[in-house]
Amino acid sequence: MSTPFEPRIVVLCCNWCTYAGADLAGTSRMKYAPNVRLVRVMCSGRVDPSFVLRAFQDGADGVLVAGCHPGDCHYINGNLKAMRRFPALEKMVAQFGIEPQRLRLEWISAAEGDVFVRVVNEMTAQVRALGALDWRRRAAVGPLPEHAG
Amino acid sequence: MSHFATPMMEVPEMIAEVGGKTLDLCYQCGTCSGTCPWNLVRDFRVRDIITRAQLGLEGYEGEDLWMCATCNACVDRCPQGVEIVDLVRTIRMLIAETGAAPKTLRAVLGSVQSNGNPWSGEPSARMAWAGADPVPAFDGTPEYAYFTCCTQAYDPRNAKVIRAAAKVMDAGCVSYGFVGGGEWCCGDAVRKTGAQSSFQRLADHNINLMNGLGVKKMLVPSPHCLNTFRKEYPELGGKWEVTHLVELLRDLVRSGRLAMKTAVPVKAIYHDPCYLGRNNDIYDAPRDVLRGVPGLQLIEFARTRDEAVCCGGGGGRLWMETPVNERFAVLKLKEAVAKGADTVVTACPYCISMFEDAKTALGLDQMQIADVVEIVAQAL
Amino acid sequence: MEPRIGVFVCHCGTNIAGVVDVNRVVEAAAAWPDVVFSTEYKFMCSDPGQHLLNDAIIRHKLTRVVVAACSPRMHEPTFRKACAMAGLNPYLFEMANIREHCSWVHEDKLAATLKAIDIVRAAVAKARLLEPLQARMVPVTPKVLVVGGGVAGIQAALDIANAGTKVIMVERSQSIGGHMAQLDKTFPTLDCSACILTPKMVQVAQHPNIELMTYSDVENVDGYVGNFTVKIRQRARYVDESTCTSCGVCLEKCPKKVPSEFDEGMATRKAIYRSFPQAVPGRPVIDKESCTYFKNGKCKICEIFCEPKAIRWDDQDRVVEEKVGAIIVATGMGLIDPHGLGQWGYGRFPNVLTGLEFERLNNATGPTGGRITCKDGSEPKSVAILHCVGSRDRNHKEYCSRVCCMYSLKFAHLIKEKTHATVYNFYIDMRCFGKGYEEFYNRLLHEGVKFIRGKAAYVTDQAYGDEETGKLVVSAESTTLGQVLRVPVDMVILASAVAPQNDAEAVARLFGMGRSPDGFFMEKHPKLEPFATATDGVYLAGSCQSPKDIPDTVAHGAAAASTALSMISRGMVEVEAATAEVLKDFCSGCKVCQDVCPYSAISFHDDTHLAEVNASVCKGCGTCVATCPSSAITGHHFNDLQVLAQIDAAFAWE
Repeated sequence: MSTPFEPRIVVLCCNWCTYAGADLAGTSRMKYAPNVRLVRVMCSGRVDPSFVLRAFQDGADGVLVAGCHPGDCHYINGNLKAMRRFPALEKMVAQFGIEPQRLRLEWISAAEGDVFVRVVNEMTAQVRALGALDWRRRAAVGPLPEHAG
Repeated sequence: MSHFATPMMEVPEMIAEVGGKTLDLCYQCGTCSGTCPWNLVRDFRVRDIITRAQLGLEGYEGEDLWMCATCNACVDRCPQGVEIVDLVRTIRMLIAETGAAPKTLRAVLGSVQSNGNPWSGEPSARMAWAGADPVPAFDGTPEYAYFTCCTQAYDPRNAKVIRAAAKVMDAGCVSYGFVGGGEWCCGDAVRKTGAQSSFQRLADHNINLMNGLGVKKMLVPSPHCLNTFRKEYPELGGKWEVTHLVELLRDLVRSGRLAMKTAVPVKAIYHDPCYLGRNNDIYDAPRDVLRGVPGLQLIEFARTRDEAVCCGGGGGRLWMETPVNERFAVLKLKEAVAKGADTVVTACPYCISMFEDAKTALGLDQMQIADVVEIVAQAL
Repeated sequence: MEPRIGVFVCHCGTNIAGVVDVNRVVEAAAAWPDVVFSTEYKFMCSDPGQHLLNDAIIRHKLTRVVVAACSPRMHEPTFRKACAMAGLNPYLFEMANIREHCSWVHEDKLAATLKAIDIVRAAVAKARLLEPLQARMVPVTPKVLVVGGGVAGIQAALDIANAGTKVIMVERSQSIGGHMAQLDKTFPTLDCSACILTPKMVQVAQHPNIELMTYSDVENVDGYVGNFTVKIRQRARYVDESTCTSCGVCLEKCPKKVPSEFDEGMATRKAIYRSFPQAVPGRPVIDKESCTYFKNGKCKICEIFCEPKAIRWDDQDRVVEEKVGAIIVATGMGLIDPHGLGQWGYGRFPNVLTGLEFERLNNATGPTGGRITCKDGSEPKSVAILHCVGSRDRNHKEYCSRVCCMYSLKFAHLIKEKTHATVYNFYIDMRCFGKGYEEFYNRLLHEGVKFIRGKAAYVTDQAYGDEETGKLVVSAESTTLGQVLRVPVDMVILASAVAPQNDAEAVARLFGMGRSPDGFFMEKHPKLEPFATATDGVYLAGSCQSPKDIPDTVAHGAAAASTALSMISRGMVEVEAATAEVLKDFCSGCKVCQDVCPYSAISFHDDTHLAEVNASVCKGCGTCVATCPSSAITGHHFNDLQVLAQIDAAFAWE
């Protein structure tokens, strides 16, 4: 028997809100699934679509992009730029045959440690249910029929 | 050393295990006891039960446990979000498993088991209220399936309410049919007394029955049925749009489909049923309907809407004996008399029963107890 | 030259080492390319920990440093400084957060250890590509903006002004003084609030270093630490400040009465008014919304009686722009909307008052001249004070308002002093934690005040029995006695909850601050920097951060002042080195970057057709970097290669 599937999720998050929210989850000793790795940028507006694709290419089963709530951006409105970029990214990812649940955009403030925990646990469960993405293999042979991945 | 009490942590653990997750949140402020209507007539402190249960001290399982009428007033106000009524239900459930439920309740639960209703009524007699008149049966085609409350089906006083409802619905050209003889009790009171497996059996039966009949929209005259169908049945597989009769009446009056032309010259005081008001936020619909009745003067109890004092009939209390001077309905009826009301109007079969009993006990022959739909029927 | 990376894994006592196998992380790191040194230590942030770092940098000729410890938001500055001490450019340092993001959030030791290894690997991957950056120093504008003229703002402004630094104080209402000016006595010393506050108010008005702008609002804030530009709107007062002698004749003559905000609506003021008799400044303003002349074009009675001819009907709002180096937000607290408190009878029974309403009732300048009376003018024979109304209550505010227990005791004392009433306190817990507070509680016990341990469930006028007829009845369980009480009283005072100001959300956005879940402004660190915010140069004073009593508010104001001063007095401030830069060879001149920059930091040169980032305006958000279609902008310290390397190393993929 092989070990059970553990999803690997890359979180691209801003320094001021979501990273700090994850810090708060820590200082509050909340517990969540150990399936995420955070990559910090200063603002969600810095999240280049290529970062997301690179994560999938590397083998990530899910990518979470997270920043400040609209209106609360440390850089006035960088998060809105991230938000506007996102639909195009979603479309692109869908064209690559990646299920939409594997890519998520969330606003999580520095005070929302509990929200961070909820989002991480939810997404881990969803991606776990979808199974491994193994995109490099999929990409090599083109999109696979449903449930085949 | 018997005057010392020793905590038994198995008790709170057991309660938490069967769903009483908010037990430990209580910080002993006493808002629940201070709110509870029992203290208007006798001593009863639900906080005592909670505290004892938190520590597993003797007393949480005593006779007082069966006092709670599940009116939800304490839950609404609890600053800590303790689900007090649900905790009471959970503890009752644990106690009922040991066979320690009160005698009168055991008889009621026996009837539910054998007859599908708490009134020891023959299942075949469920439609007897209709007499020889033909009434529409629900066969999948009408818009609404009318689910008769057991108390309406078997209690002669409440049976009059169904006949009034039928008259009003006919007048408003409502497309409806009675689910009829096959229906069993919705199980609200059964569940609140802790008889979880009996409730499950009733629910399974009703869900199969109604899904089989192709029910989409339910019409219920009882707030207890309303609450159970809206909040408990969906996760068991019963997902219908559930409407209380007063909500339908309000829509009929508003849209002009129901014309109330005959004066009903009464001074009416409206009693908010706990399961209609506090539990489902329906406060305005009955009042809107009553205000549209020609000649009717509507007055209010001192504590009304979300502050309203319960009739005392919920949570299984309807079937338990309460001394006359300890009945909330008696207290409220006295207030109604003092305010000069000649009619107490409500929208719940349990409330009707409790108030009718109080009326008899006080010998108030002139006082009228009425469901909103009966008033509307008079006004047509 | 290949980088020489050193990895230092912190135990943080048992905070990390209790869950993460630190030695295994050290071993894993030692095997990675370019890692020439890898070690662990109990507390990396301690003095010996920093020495260890220093020695290792020198001994092993390290050119990159990774410390795996807590959040960079906690100790990145510490370790950057330590690197600099050893002669290493501080931007060649990278932090791996294996505490907040790992050991504190996971219980499974193996999973946590593997995750910690991943986190450190990603940090090493980024560190390998780090480039040295030079922090830039810019001069600081030696002036501080204090927003809000309550006691917190007053304390902050005076402390700064007395140190010789200029202050602009902006206050929204006609007078400074805030809530403290509304109080009669203060707990536990029973000092007269006005007596101790008004001298400070006058000092503010007269201080040569303080420019006071009342009846004014901050409209816009631009810039960054040391160099803010703020726009302040001074609302039209319609009274000329230099001509008016504050004689007060207009206040008597004005025929238009409106509810007084200062008196919590329990008394009236005129359309031309000052908030209260000792208002600072004393010159009145005309409230345009209420003034009969502005409504109907007729009246002008104030003008007729104004001897110095100070009324100016054509007065206009003025918007001024000021440059300041620091901002202290001292906008204070609001109160919970009492209309949501119907269960306790507010709004239904006239003799149910909020705490602040009782303050005014009891105040010599209040609606009754300080006599404690019921609405019908009679003296109450019994008063109930209900603690925790709206506080510690999930239906309202979950937090403890921190002042109610003590002001309830104060009320009890004042009622006892002025009337013969029996006073009942209904409480859940008595929270008397300050200096002299428990002693004050004891004093009240001596004074015969009745304490009932149970929260008031509701207040009704429905009487059961003669003793309740015509009274307000408080229903509560005495939880110590195990009995439900019905207590008939003549007056009920609600110790109603403190709340964030109604416009807290807008104010937070204006100054770039966050809010905690309770709605109050969020401090940078709840323990160590409760007076700073996430935005450098913006500080917090008083109850806008959390409910506070007067001593705590004053201390908080002084703390904010000294923090602002220490920044101002350095004269220079370090600004972001991690800015964006246009790589000229790749720029196609499309100008998209200009559109997305929130700070207008990108200029376009028409002659060369190239964009350029103004580094002193750029804050390093990186939005232009991600947007540039030609990848012609690099974001220093978070460039594409660095971030991609981190993503590549985020998991042990195979």
